[in-house]
Amino acid sequence: MADEIRRLSDDLARDPSSLAFMPLADALRRAGQLDVALRVALRGLDRHPYVADAHDVLARIHADRGDLERAADEWEMALRLNPRHGPARLGLGFVDFRRGDLESAERRLSAVTTDDDPGVAAALTHVRSALSARVPVQPPPVESVAGEAPPDTAPASKPAAPPTVIELPAPDPSKARHVFAPALEGSDQAALLVDGDGLVLAGSYADPDGRDVAEIVAAELAGVSGEAERAMRHLGLGAWTSMLVEADRAVVAMTPAPLGSLLVVSASRQTPVGLVRLLLDRALTRARDWLARVA
Amino acid sequence: MSTSRNGRGQAKTPYAEILAVLVRQRGVLGSFVVSERDGIAVDSNAQIGVHAEAVAALAASLHRKARLACGAAGCGDVTFLRLDAERGGICAAGRDDLVLVTISETRANIGLLRVEMMRAAKALT
Repeated sequence: MADEIRRLSDDLARDPSSLAFMPLADALRRAGQLDVALRVALRGLDRHPYVADAHDVLARIHADRGDLERAADEWEMALRLNPRHGPARLGLGFVDFRRGDLESAERRLSAVTTDDDPGVAAALTHVRSALSARVPVQPPPVESVAGEAPPDTAPASKPAAPPTVIELPAPDPSKARHVFAPALEGSDQAALLVDGDGLVLAGSYADPDGRDVAEIVAAELAGVSGEAERAMRHLGLGAWTSMLVEADRAVVAMTPAPLGSLLVVSASRQTPVGLVRLLLDRALTRARDWLARVA
Repeated sequence: MSTSRNGRGQAKTPYAEILAVLVRQRGVLGSFVVSERDGIAVDSNAQIGVHAEAVAALAASLHRKARLACGAAGCGDVTFLRLDAERGGICAAGRDDLVLVTISETRANIGLLRVEMMRAAKALT
């Protein structure tokens, strides 16, 4: 393993813009060097934000770190980039299973052809068995689900938690400000969901002095979606997908969100633009989920 | 085929050369200098068929909204704006009241275009 990591590190050093960061990050993950693996994967994604396999690698690292939420975000991203990405479906099935949502796990795994991974059929059998029995079971071995060892599978002797289906509670309005916190990487980042009238739906936005400026920023951005849509219609360039604004002290990215809303993410000027776009995608996944439960 | 004219259909303006350089970039369909305040195209160099006046006005409006929002958020001045769509997009770089706008297809090299536009925007007066 050490030799493999050394060889892959050399490969990446020879060509830092290559995709060699993916096998390197994965090898580091398998070796248990999760922090280093995370740094390698994030740096690689700065350069290659649209490679589905790279998001899959990052998802596995998050899963091994026990952060299923971020793992799911990355697998969702991989699926958006490549709707036929089998490992991402497997990963999301694994996350669903771990969350106790057996029906969703079964749906996801059923959608994967067994050609993608020989362990899929076994995993599916395991999930269906748990579904029909509805008795405490261990999560399926992740070799079967995501192709790798599970991050924190309980030992066989330890009693497993009952596989009750987790019903997500209705969102607490007082927590709307913090909806995007898990999707952001640092204190210099913010995310805001704005409705079509320029009113804040969720998230927060503070200026460099820490003052809450969410409402005023939202108001200034009212109508951006409509104008972007009109401009693209005049040009015949299709639907608008994102807007990126570089300013002296920040990079701000926006994208249309469900129900005519606008999602805004900002980060300090030092943040690589590719990373800001990645944060925007992560925040959009959360916005969709949150709106689906609120609306 | 492209045209270069100012807003009144008259001859060359001081921006003609800047716009010509931008429109020679791969995938660029048109370039404009627009007044952010009123959305009027001061000069343009666009392929025939591009709705220059309407797009220029909308781009100027988007730039204005972004500038005001960034001002409110304490982000400082807007240096570059990029609007992406399924088959292309709009880039804008402003200086004072004037905004340099390009319309491009997806095959454009946005990184190169960005550098050229930010350099050119410094020459806008």
